[in-house]
Amino acid sequence: MSTFTGTGRLILFILLRDRIRMTVWTLSLVGSMFMVIPTLADMFATPEQRMARATIMETPTGIVFGGPGYGLEEYGLGAMVANEMTQSLLVALAVMGILHVVRHTRAEEESGRAELLRANVLGSSAQITAALVTNALVSGAIGALITVSMVVNGLPLADSAAYGAGLALAGVVFGAVAAVCAQVSGYARGASGLAFLVIGVLFMLRVVGDIAERGGSAPSWFSPFAWVQQTRAFDDLRWWPLALYVLVIAILFAVAYVLADRRDLGAGLVAARPGPAGAGPLLNGVLALHLRQQRASIIAWTVAVALFAFAFGTLVTEIDGMAEQNPEIMARMGLTGEGMIEAFLGVLTLYIVMPTAAFAVLSVLRARAEEDSGRAELVLSSAVGRLRWMGSTVLVSALSGMVMMFLGGLAMGVGAASATGDTAWIRVVAEAGAAQIPVVLMFAGLTTLFLGAAPRLVGLVWAWFAYGLFVTIFGLLMDLPDWMVHVGPFEIVALLPTEEFAPVPYLAVLAGAGAAAAVGLAGFRRRDLVTA
Amino acid sequence: MSAPAIEVSGLDKYFGQFKALDGLDLTVEPGQVAGFLGPNGSGKSTTIRVLLGLLRSDGGTARLLGGDPWKDAVTLHRRLAYVPGDVSLWPNLTGGQAVDLLGRLHGRADRTRRKALLERFELDPTKKARTYSKGNRQKVALVAALASDAELLILDEPTSGLDPLMESVFTDCVHEAKRQGRSVLLSSHILAEVEKLCDTVTIIRKGRTVESGTLNDLRHLTRSTVRATTEGDPSALAGLTGVHGLNVEGADVTFDVDNDHMDQAFRALADLGLRSLVSNPPSLEELFMRHYGDELAALNGEGAAK
Repeated sequence: MSTFTGTGRLILFILLRDRIRMTVWTLSLVGSMFMVIPTLADMFATPEQRMARATIMETPTGIVFGGPGYGLEEYGLGAMVANEMTQSLLVALAVMGILHVVRHTRAEEESGRAELLRANVLGSSAQITAALVTNALVSGAIGALITVSMVVNGLPLADSAAYGAGLALAGVVFGAVAAVCAQVSGYARGASGLAFLVIGVLFMLRVVGDIAERGGSAPSWFSPFAWVQQTRAFDDLRWWPLALYVLVIAILFAVAYVLADRRDLGAGLVAARPGPAGAGPLLNGVLALHLRQQRASIIAWTVAVALFAFAFGTLVTEIDGMAEQNPEIMARMGLTGEGMIEAFLGVLTLYIVMPTAAFAVLSVLRARAEEDSGRAELVLSSAVGRLRWMGSTVLVSALSGMVMMFLGGLAMGVGAASATGDTAWIRVVAEAGAAQIPVVLMFAGLTTLFLGAAPRLVGLVWAWFAYGLFVTIFGLLMDLPDWMVHVGPFEIVALLPTEEFAPVPYLAVLAGAGAAAAVGLAGFRRRDLVTA
Repeated sequence: MSAPAIEVSGLDKYFGQFKALDGLDLTVEPGQVAGFLGPNGSGKSTTIRVLLGLLRSDGGTARLLGGDPWKDAVTLHRRLAYVPGDVSLWPNLTGGQAVDLLGRLHGRADRTRRKALLERFELDPTKKARTYSKGNRQKVALVAALASDAELLILDEPTSGLDPLMESVFTDCVHEAKRQGRSVLLSSHILAEVEKLCDTVTIIRKGRTVESGTLNDLRHLTRSTVRATTEGDPSALAGLTGVHGLNVEGADVTFDVDNDHMDQAFRALADLGLRSLVSNPPSLEELFMRHYGDELAALNGEGAAK
């Protein structure tokens, strides 16, 4: 029996288990391409319109969310798609790959299901292989269908094929990163956290490299986020950057298999050490318990958000330099150099709110994990009331979300100040961050509402969050109707420093968050506990 | 006379369309150890969760230590301790930390008793909970519960993961709890355990109480098995009322006898010239089988039909 025995069967089983999940991912990514390509063709029908568009893509914001800027000189439909869609697709593929691979490797081990499977006729490498293969299959399908979406919209076949292949290969790389992380960390949560951190760093490398030089510079070449666009598809196609994906896939697979081979089922690379024989004086209640359970993730998220915010903040000097080099671009956009920096920082604030709000939701959802696992039953059968238990969870989420948002704004301000040498930015940007705190609290409140009053509908919070991401990111590009943008969660409170601070929406959102949390808590007091 | 520690009557609980509890009755007198028996899925854990205020009842009444288990949950929980059937702990806390945390959440915990219990259950408190087996996780909850000064212990299949050695430690601990005057509700499907520990037994099936009382009460309702050797021919016993399944092999005879006709049967045996006599009261297993025998038969029938 080889270590791969049973892999085929397991692949079929994963495809069956995840058929809906995989279909949704494929349809939403491919579907958005089928929608966006004709939309872009319509909206930017003339060369003049497209050139005006190209100047936006040359700004630092354009580079952060666009790419190295190939094809901007003659901005055709293909170049437009490659510049405007690639990074979003790559981020989506990364999220998909990480969640998929961790779910079918480390999470299986953690739950004990792997043990059940491995005791059958199944080789020791079958599970990791099946996870990687299925991830590659979905990535491949998405890449292929995206190529189809481009060709049917009249884009050249060779460029479309290189582009689709690049996306698919990047998806495989992201899955492989997750597979390595799943060997290192003993827990699913730790494995995906580590993988997301790695992906975040890789994304930033591409941003830093691309901003430093048009067409990318040394840092870009270390990032799989760069190589798709480095094929210069729809500009001056070259295939060889795709070889970098293949090389990295080979290395990561080898590392994952070697690590997997060296450890026991269920164990991380770091052996479990004995801990204290008794609880310290601090672990004396539910609030302390929740804080302790989330300590690692609060610190990790805060550090990550602050680092990204700082890095974004330092980009402002690039925009200054650009204004000096291309005053006409700025003039065409109706912005002075000063206002440009502020608008840039304002938009970037949203990219601090998004991860922080996601954290707030995840943090409240910990209560559900506690409930499902039966740990809540143990605690609630002691002298702890429902209100205190759930209330503490919400408090941990709200407090850590506020701190994270505040520190994120501060870090971006410090980044801007250190790059410009003007310390006034610290306060301006920190205020802009603080002005978004109600949005974070609103997500915590809404999650509480659903968890307490309608636990089955808690997915709606994520749906609204995803909708918000979509309108906020594409709203700028696609000229969506105002009402569509305004019902997104990230467009309610004023966006400082360009917009004036508006107390009414600020207080209204705060009050809404509080009311939602109160209804959720009341609902939780009245409902049955979820029990096994 | 004080109020019962647990008093449940006519309890109903639905999960959607499924009726998990169907007019269930259960009483635990103070200072007694009450066995709560039933096969998997019969509603034992559901009843316990209603008693703990984790689930809301849909009908009937439930009183716990004189209070309402839903409304007075927190005040009542200070006076009781609970060990779930499947204990899950926080993977990154050690066993010792979990014991202390549970003790603190409960209110008071006795340090010396905690230490003694850890030693008796041979639990290493420095290991992370994620490395514990099911039995060890159960020990953590048991140590926390037994170290508390709760006047009522609610134990849901507490020995399902323990080895025989630890089971006997557990038996001792329950005896001690009884001596200290605590009340215990012990749900189980291990009949020997209930027989050994419990003063009263409640047998449930499909969410309904089918039998309850002291073991002696229950035994009166059923038959004992008698094995005897006589000088005379024991075949004559066949005609006696209350004697069933008579089997004669030479001078040896075995039969079952209804407990309320025992008197006549033994008189008849004595008249035949009794050389040896063994009489076994019905085991709990037999009591149990009487209530679930038809299910077993159905299962066997199904097996045979295939």
